[in-house]
Amino acid sequence: MKKLFRTAAVAAAAALALAGCGSGGASDPSNVSPTGEVKAREISWLLSRPADGAVINIMKKLADDYAKDHPGFSLNLITTPDRPSYIQKLETLAAANKLPELFDTDATPFAQQLAKQGKMVDAEKLLKSLDVYDDYRPSALDYQRFDDGSLHMIPFQFELEFVWYNKALLQKAGVSVPKSLDDLPAMCTALRNAGITPIAIDGQDQWPLERYVAYQPFRDAGPDFIQKLKKGEAKFSDPAGKKTVEWLASLGKAKCFQDGFSSQGYSDAQNQFTSGQAAMYNIGTWELPSLATDKLNPTVRDDIDFFTLPTTEGSVTAANEFVSPSGIGMAVNAKTYDPLVSDFLKFALEKYPSEYAATGALSPTTNVETAVPANATPLYKKALEMANDLGDEQAMPWDTQLDPTTNGRLQQELVLLVQGNITPEQFTSTMDSTIAQNAPKFFK
Amino acid sequence: MLPNRSRLSVLVFLLPPLLLYGVAVLFPIMQSLFLSFFSWNGISDMEFVGLANYVRMLTGDDIFWRSFFNALGYLAICLVLQLGGALLVASLLTSMRRGRELIKTLYLLPAVISTVAIAFLFVRIYSIEPVGLLNQLLHWIGLGALERPWLSDIHTVLAAVSAPEGWRFTGLYMLIIYAALLSVPQELEEAARLDGASRWQLFTKIRFPHIMPVWITTTIMATTYGLRGFDIPYLMTNGGPGQSSELLTTYMYKTAFTSTDFGYASTIAVFIVVECLVAVGLILFMLKRKADA
Repeated sequence: MKKLFRTAAVAAAAALALAGCGSGGASDPSNVSPTGEVKAREISWLLSRPADGAVINIMKKLADDYAKDHPGFSLNLITTPDRPSYIQKLETLAAANKLPELFDTDATPFAQQLAKQGKMVDAEKLLKSLDVYDDYRPSALDYQRFDDGSLHMIPFQFELEFVWYNKALLQKAGVSVPKSLDDLPAMCTALRNAGITPIAIDGQDQWPLERYVAYQPFRDAGPDFIQKLKKGEAKFSDPAGKKTVEWLASLGKAKCFQDGFSSQGYSDAQNQFTSGQAAMYNIGTWELPSLATDKLNPTVRDDIDFFTLPTTEGSVTAANEFVSPSGIGMAVNAKTYDPLVSDFLKFALEKYPSEYAATGALSPTTNVETAVPANATPLYKKALEMANDLGDEQAMPWDTQLDPTTNGRLQQELVLLVQGNITPEQFTSTMDSTIAQNAPKFFK
Repeated sequence: MLPNRSRLSVLVFLLPPLLLYGVAVLFPIMQSLFLSFFSWNGISDMEFVGLANYVRMLTGDDIFWRSFFNALGYLAICLVLQLGGALLVASLLTSMRRGRELIKTLYLLPAVISTVAIAFLFVRIYSIEPVGLLNQLLHWIGLGALERPWLSDIHTVLAAVSAPEGWRFTGLYMLIIYAALLSVPQELEEAARLDGASRWQLFTKIRFPHIMPVWITTTIMATTYGLRGFDIPYLMTNGGPGQSSELLTTYMYKTAFTSTDFGYASTIAVFIVVECLVAVGLILFMLKRKADA
């Protein structure tokens, strides 16, 4: 009867959730200044960040500093860097009403439901009450906002996404940096003819390919397109949608991505680029330490450069507007929010930006200067400087926007489209009907 | 017939495991059945929808049927590799004079390697950039035309994710069947041989009928294991590309924990329970009819 255990696991999670159903968050999410005594205890942060990354290291240090003045305080960091596993963990805990004091989430439709139920503290009010709100880059905060403009997550990063490329390989194939997104398919063909893999992509994690579907509509119709698409108010059969579907099919036909990309992981893709096999690689500034320092393979070090998301003819967004995420945000649980959590956040958020900038990363605030590491190549500084000249709009990654079922289906169908297993028409009709079926449940 | 007192003591000893079974197995199944009549995403209010989830599953969900047929394909490949392979190896082993223990151990080895390690191992074996073992072998023997990204090709991916599962348990079933083959009476075989029976007749008329009860058990074991296959496909391709290697189990898991559609996921879970029961019933029925004939 072991076959039934799988069923049991789901039901057990559900039963756990049922038990937690009765008690809702009692406190008021807009009350950001709780009164009373600061009583030290252990608080937990459920997060999805690299275990030895800068954010965790700094927050650990700040928690230790805070504990010196508040004996008995400790910050328990529970990290699940693998994003799909993390989301499952978060959703199960949310269903069981067992979320810890602090937890990470993107501005997803699911998180918006949590916020609507009053389970997350109003971050805009919180940051204002701590007098740090104006320090933040507006676009870092905008990235965290829900559709209605409300802010419930606090950013800890600020990243810019570029297309990194290998000058020598482009030259070998006789192509130059694309002026328009529409130049990309022809560029891929030329690179393939020269025996070079045009773009290295991590297909296993699915979000990197999902970036590509967002580019054409962002240029063609602006950031509103995805906002409308996810609610079923815009369709893939609209002109902007049609263009992106056909563009992706043409990327596939031109064999832009490495063979068998769908089963290759993050490091596979990066290795192909840094070993000089692939000509282009689309990734954010979080990889600066491996792409713009002396850690980079010396044979390609002088050949690497980057360009930002190309525009298109008649583009409604400017060249300095592209994907600039502030990473997964931290939400504050309204149910467990008390003088201690408030006091610790005040302490930590004031000190965090300077510590973070010292590691060579871009702070989500503008009140500190990022330190360029000693082993950096000139590219490092060039990349950081791009942050000073950003437009007002930013391209949102679609995986944070769509409802989870549509998002899952989109990721699957995109692979089939780019591999040429389905036609653009099949893709369009599948996705439009998936959105029509699933969006109403999340965006009513 | 046991005297009364000892019947009581038997009950006393049987009750705790029965209770444990009820709490750990029966209760969740009932809970799933209950949830399958609701629409619930974990944080919303539960909404009673009657049979709507079942109607959607059976008539309006293309991925469900796709994963159902994938699961049958996966099962078929696993059964052929596990039972067919096991029978073949076990039969060969009985005719071996030396080195039996070594062969047995080598075949059993994959069964004790962790699933995650096996999944990663096979991702590398099937890889094309950098070239993996399989594509390299094809190249060496002059079948370079067959080289392909096995896990990205929608025509090969299902077989590619089934093979590791089949491969890892072949040794286990081989051991069970080998033990059964050893119990076949030597004098029967000798008598048949004297009467001029061929090796094939020896196998079909004497050995196989003799190991029938063990064969039934292993078939049921392998089938139920195959129907609940989850880890290797999930780890290797996560159901992709598209839905080419999506099984009912991976689809159920995604519906529950990615789409947070617990009601509908429970509906799929109920279907899997029914499917397993039907499969076991079918095996028993077919084998019994064969034995009677």
